[in-house]
Amino acid sequence: MSAFAAQTEAPATPQSPWADFRLIPRIETWPAAVSFVQTAPGKVLLLTLFGLGMRFFLPDLTAAAGLTFFFGIITFLPEYRRLVLAVAPILLVVREDFQDPLRVAATLLVIALGMGLYFCVMRWPKSLFARRPIVSLLSGFSLLIVLACYSPSHSHTSTVLWGMVAVLATYVWFIAYAVTDKSSKPARDAPLELAALRPLWGSTNTPFPKGAAYLRRIEAKTPEQLAVVQLKGLKLLAWAVLLALFQNLWYRFFHGYLSIPLPDQAIAMSVHGTPVAWHLRWAAQILAYFELILSFSIFGHRFIACARMAGFNALRNTCRPLSATTLIDFFNRFYYYFKELLVDFFYFPAFLRYFKKHRRLRTVFATCVALIIGDSFYHLTRDWTFLRNEGLWKGIASYQVLFVYNTVLAIGLSISQLRRRKPRPKGFFRGRLLPSTGVAFFYILVIVFGSEARSFTLGQTLHYFASLFFIYY
Amino acid sequence: MTEKAAIHDFVQDLLLRNEDRAPLADGDSLLVTGRLQSVDTVDIVVFLEERFGIDFAQIGFDRDQLDSVDAIYALTQNATAVR
Repeated sequence: MSAFAAQTEAPATPQSPWADFRLIPRIETWPAAVSFVQTAPGKVLLLTLFGLGMRFFLPDLTAAAGLTFFFGIITFLPEYRRLVLAVAPILLVVREDFQDPLRVAATLLVIALGMGLYFCVMRWPKSLFARRPIVSLLSGFSLLIVLACYSPSHSHTSTVLWGMVAVLATYVWFIAYAVTDKSSKPARDAPLELAALRPLWGSTNTPFPKGAAYLRRIEAKTPEQLAVVQLKGLKLLAWAVLLALFQNLWYRFFHGYLSIPLPDQAIAMSVHGTPVAWHLRWAAQILAYFELILSFSIFGHRFIACARMAGFNALRNTCRPLSATTLIDFFNRFYYYFKELLVDFFYFPAFLRYFKKHRRLRTVFATCVALIIGDSFYHLTRDWTFLRNEGLWKGIASYQVLFVYNTVLAIGLSISQLRRRKPRPKGFFRGRLLPSTGVAFFYILVIVFGSEARSFTLGQTLHYFASLFFIYY
Repeated sequence: MTEKAAIHDFVQDLLLRNEDRAPLADGDSLLVTGRLQSVDTVDIVVFLEERFGIDFAQIGFDRDQLDSVDAIYALTQNATAVR
């Protein structure tokens, strides 16, 4: 069975009586649908439906039409897929930031830097950079941030350095995948590497779906494979649209009609001495858990739907997180590509290098490196504006609550991994419902510390956390 | 038991632990398809270290080399040849 043919919609899922139920039917398994999508009218219909779906998310008609146009070229001329994916995003950058020449220049410079580093690793695999690409890359990026922090404020130097930091912050993890792509052949794969540096389908700072090495493995090779993956893309986009509509109703009902506060609002009221009722505090936390899953599902599905439309059979970013029965399983199902980033660049390098004789210790150590160092570095540099506005040390100090969040998560995930070997209880209640509820309860509590607004001190957050359990001090 | 059969059995056990009872062929993709997760990769790494004495810190680590029973077997052969 080839990697492509075997590609499942999601990580392995236990069978249940509802396993075969689908709100959106599995049209990619219908031979007539797959054949039709390979014809010219079928392709036009597919692109039209996909374009309409994207229009739902993109208020700018030109952007939705432009994206559909590029997918159209890929659909009708798949042999030019890599070229289109390499060139189109750069054209879009120039178009989007036309009014800001500094940003366009910085973006093109960073893309050139990424490709330059990729070629260096390929050309000199024994060099210091090629042997430790992630450490070198992240050290260089950190140095740039330090230089920007200590540059004279309101000077040209400061403007240029922070401009570079702003752009590099969005590209650094894409470059990281490029410089660690060990199986790449520059003569053949350079366009795909360029395409992966800034995916046409969009992304957060986390590369969706990883880098060129992964894209090569999941790329549709035949018209039938392309038809199947595009139908899966269309389905996923339809699901994202449904979830977005549901999310809208959810917010209107819970936060509009029932006036339940958001967690940040509940903490703010607690800080100002006018705390909301106990049950509303709990309601805010419980809702936040589901809202987080909803919003991550929507944006992740949208990116992956587009990647599939471009011919890449990528796994979903969020896949049935509520069915997770362990913390580690939830982390895997909730934000798959961010978890992959932490695993690729932090967990495995630590796991393979340190405490090899001590199985438990190396697991805990690698998890702490991934969550406490990796996750913190990711968010500190992603939210670089805190460092610019507050200075290096105050900017880092403002991360204190999220640091606690990462530490608690690291402890939870370490324990979850160490307990994996124990036999699982059987039955729906003890085997499924109870563990799933436990996972949800853990995350409901831990997201008290997950506010990214950094509006509250650790003391204020702890005070609010304690108040959930009637502890006031 | 041959080395490849041992690898096959180990991978099959991992799949069963994840309640994946689908048949496993030696060429089947495991990670790209999502049948196995990163946390399962950790188990494979430890298995290869203990059973075949492979030191990934020395030979370099590429998760693509663990994507199927065939790929894992090829990795063990290459690692043995290098030693």
